[in-house]
Order: sequence, then structure tokens, then C-alpha cells
Amino acid sequence: MFKKVLIANRGEIALRVARACRELGIKVVAVHSTADRDSAVVSYADEAVQIGPGPAKRSYLHIPAIVEAALRTGAEAVHPGYGFLSEDPDFAEVCAANGLVFVGPPAEVIATLGDKTTARSLMDSADVPMLAGSMAALPTVAEAQAVADRIGYPVIIKAAAGGGGRGMRMVTDAGDFGRAYRETRASAQALFGDARVYVERYLAPARHIEIQVLADQLGNVIQLGARDCSVQRRHQKLIEETPAPHLPAEVLDEMGRAAVRGARAAGYVGAGTFEFLVDETHDFSFMEVNCRIQVEHPVTEMVTGVDLVQEQFRIAAGHPLSLKQADVLPRGVAVECRVNAEDPERGFVPTPGRLTEFVAPSGPFVRVDTHGFPGYRVPPDYDPLLAKVVVWAPTRHEALDRMDRALAEFRVSGDGVRTTTDFLRAVVRHPLFRSGQHSTSLVEQLTREHGNQFRRAA
Amino acid sequence: MSQGVVDMNGRRERPADADASVPEVLDQVRDSALRLIAELPRPPYALRVRAGDVSVEVEWNLGTSAPAVTDTLPAVPATVDPLTVPEDRHCVGAPTVGLFYRAPEPGAPPFVTVGDLVRPEQQVGIVEAMKLMIPVVAERGGRVLEIVKDDGAPVEYGEGLIVIAPDDDG
Repeated sequence: MFKKVLIANRGEIALRVARACRELGIKVVAVHSTADRDSAVVSYADEAVQIGPGPAKRSYLHIPAIVEAALRTGAEAVHPGYGFLSEDPDFAEVCAANGLVFVGPPAEVIATLGDKTTARSLMDSADVPMLAGSMAALPTVAEAQAVADRIGYPVIIKAAAGGGGRGMRMVTDAGDFGRAYRETRASAQALFGDARVYVERYLAPARHIEIQVLADQLGNVIQLGARDCSVQRRHQKLIEETPAPHLPAEVLDEMGRAAVRGARAAGYVGAGTFEFLVDETHDFSFMEVNCRIQVEHPVTEMVTGVDLVQEQFRIAAGHPLSLKQADVLPRGVAVECRVNAEDPERGFVPTPGRLTEFVAPSGPFVRVDTHGFPGYRVPPDYDPLLAKVVVWAPTRHEALDRMDRALAEFRVSGDGVRTTTDFLRAVVRHPLFRSGQHSTSLVEQLTREHGNQFRRAA
Repeated sequence: MSQGVVDMNGRRERPADADASVPEVLDQVRDSALRLIAELPRPPYALRVRAGDVSVEVEWNLGTSAPAVTDTLPAVPATVDPLTVPEDRHCVGAPTVGLFYRAPEPGAPPFVTVGDLVRPEQQVGIVEAMKLMIPVVAERGGRVLEIVKDDGAPVEYGEGLIVIAPDDDG
């Protein structure tokens, strides 16, 4: 096992990875920007190195600074967390070139799966079902429109170098296609430095279901069940749960097997997630592979008893997985709510600032992954995720009641600081969500029904 | 009588397969031993695994390998935080994490020494990160009072390198 690891991330995930290191007897090096010099992981770590100013481009995304810090402190491996450089094949390559173990898949695998067009054709060759659409990028509006006309509207135009809901446009009318195509190419160039786009059938309403996969360097690949991430706002997940409610076991098994096939076909190593869209008839289609630990990994941990981050370290160190497929026996229901420092009453505008009060929920079967603490200053430079509240219960109904109880206990205040706890409680209590019949259009629907008013319940 | 035993993880142990061949049992014992070693926090001095009547013994050698207790703390290197220097001083901070060099190349005279007068934007050092040589530039002009870090010292982003008595109005 590694003796020292550098965590190339920040916030709640850096602290969560640091805790796994502590349990494995691995020394922790935390890198941080000036904006994060008082952050929780900096006090928790064994060593800390300030690598740059607030803006991520010059700190958490600045490869030379991170690799320099790793070499200087004698770290053997680098854990990239999620976001930032976690799916950057160049970073994986630079680590390898400098004798550092990158905790994740090999650079070539990240590159192949990060390009959504090569990922699609790879998965297609592994017999993973997918939506009608192009397998390759479409360089001219004429070719792109021909594909759209063939598969039928509505379609969605997506950036090949994109992902995570960014850089996509939906087109319902053939007449709008040309403009949408040009706009998507332009924003893809601006966002990802790569203007290539492809076209897919647009599916709505749909459920976003993802399969957690673990693959070691000895050829063992297992799947740890499905997460339903359908509660989203502008393609950003808000609530995730496992198991996926009301999906028949055969469909889940099929999806699990497809994910394992896809992982093998890709030569995947590490913890990964295969995302699918599931329609009303329970047909599922491949969306993308996420080559990193995900924000919502705790719900899988709660029902399986597996520490996914520890497994990542075991895999990276060349050990076999600590369990076989037959040992994966999920039990009960786990739900996670992402609490952001945002104001739902003002269009979810981020609200950075100093926290004067921060009391996280606790009690039976409640887990809170957070970097927050009283006196912590939420910086404006990064995404507004402040805490993940995760609960477990034997049934979904009990889990949602428990989540409501936990969110009600969560006390956060600060000058100008707001959080989304009341909004999340409104979703957790919503009859459509409670019935498990919701789709990705739930939040939009809720916002329409209630306007932007989410008052604290009496 | 129950067929099996429930272990401390709540799992029911299956009775040993009486028909397993010796090589198969050896394989199982070997695999268990390897898994166990991988999971231990430190490599053991000795490991004994027995299959019949089940037994696992692990030993660590604590005696001669215990680290000596030192009664002096390692010297704490000088650190100047540019945020806390008094107003009549200006501290030039490191532009990146890496190694601080006082001269343009090994053997050459340093960019500045104590007592030198520097102009604003004058280069006063280099920080190397991953073979990139990033210039250290004095944002304000004045007289060099102190070189805080030694040549070749590892520095963090923003760490104080050179203290100047500024001759501008701030």
C-alpha cells in the first residue's frame, strides 16, 4: 500500500479521500489555493502545500504546480477526486511520466472514454445498447441535419469533448437545427477547446440511472448496483438514491452486465460509473462513462458496506478487489441530498461568505460528507457544494422520512449565506418524488408549481 | 446442531469441504495469506496460517526497528508570510510552488543581494516548477533588506522570498 498520497482536489471530497488514507495508514499531502488555506483538509492532512491563487486555472488545474508538490513531498500516488483534473488524460500521463501513480484509469482509457464519440463506438462494439444517433463527430451542418432528420426529432446536439450535462442543445424543430448546430459548436470550442459535435435522439421524460463499477489490474470487474440520479436542475444532480426505485430486477441485472462488458471492452481500471437513460418502457441506452469517483458514491457505500475510495487505492496499488461479484449484496435504501451554498429564492445564485453557524445533522444512519465548519469562509471561486447529507433505512419511505428529519436539523447561517436545504425538503416531500415515478423533469415542474418560494416548514 | 458458525462479520461460515484436494487447500491458504498481508498496515515479521482447526498468527518485530526518540526538534525553516509584513516593507512572494533560485543559472552571480536597489518589475529570482523557470519579479522598487529563502529552497506559492523597503508611495 502507498506510504504517502497527494490529494489533488479540495472541499468535501478532499477530506473524504484523506479519511480513507488515514484508515489505510497512508500519509496525506493536501494541496490548496490561497482561498483554501484555512480549509478542513488542510488541517486534517499530514502535510499541506499552497500551490496557487484562488482561480482554479492557476491552482487545482495547474498541472506543473501539483506534480511539483507531489515530487517535492515524496508522494507516491495522486488521487484526483472528481472534477478538476480527474478526467484529464494529460494529467494522468504527466503523473506516470514522473513516476507518480495516478489513482484512476490509464491515460489512454480516459482519453478514449472522454471523447464521447469514441466512447459510443467502443460501447457499441461491446453490445451496450445506445440511443440512435451518430457514432462519429459531424463536421458539417448538412451531415448533422441528415442524421437528425433520419433519427427523428427531438434530437440533442452534444459536444464530443463534453459531458456532465454541459455543452448540449436540444432541437425539436428541423428549422432550428442549423442555428443550434452552430451555437453548440461555438460553445464546445469555448468550453472544451474542441468544436466537434454529434447528434443523438432526445429522450424525455427519462430516468438517469448509473451503474457503479470496480475493476482491478488483475482483470476482475464487478458492478455494485445502480443509482438513480433523476432529480436534477439544469443537468446538475441534486438528489441521488440507490437502488433505482421501481426498476425490475431483470432490467437492473441487464444494465449491470452491460456496464461490466463495457468496462472490460474499454480496459477500465479503477472506480467508474456507466450512465444510462431509461425510458418509460424500461429500455436503457448508454450515455457516458465517468472515469472517476463520483460525488454520489456514498449511497452505494451505504447499501453495500464497501469503501469505494479504499478500493481505488487497493486497485492503484496493484491489489485485487476486496470482494467478488457474489459478495455484493446491497441492503436497504440510501439517499443523498447535495446541499449547496445557493439561494433558491433568487434563481439559485451562489452565496459565498463566512459561516457563523454550521451544525450538520447526525443520529442513526446519517452520514454527512462536508468541509464546512463554524467560521469557515465559503470561497466564491469554486462550485457551491457545501455538504452531502446521506441517509440509510431499510425501505425508501423510511429513508425519505429520515432525510426530511436530517435536513430539518441542518443549521447553516452566515452573512449573506443561503443553502438549498428547504428546497431539498420540498422535493423529498413531493408526492411525485415519493412515488418514485419522477423523471429528470421533476425539478423544473416543482419550480413552476411553487415559483421560487421555499419557506421553512413549521 | 447447526451446520455452520456465524463469524464476527455476520457471515455464516460454510463447513470445510472434506473432499477438497491438498493442492486446492494449499491454494486457498496461499490466497488468504496474500490477501491478509496486503491488508495489514505494516508488513509482518512472521505469518503463520493453518487450515485444520483454523489458525492465523501474525508477528511484528517491534524491538530493534522502533524509531529512536530524538530530543531536539528539526529546525523550522524561516518563513515570511507576505500578508503580515509591516507597511513600510514589501515582501516578494513565490509565483508558484517549486525551487527558488537566486541566480539565472548555477555559478552565476545572484540577481540581487542585500543592500541592492531594485526597480519595479525587475527580476529578482527564479522559481522552478517541473522544469519551467518562472521569473520572480519585484512588484515595487526599493532597497533589498533580506533574502528570506536560501538558493535551492523548496517554496510554496505566495511564500515570502525577498523583503524590500519600498521607495514608492505604495
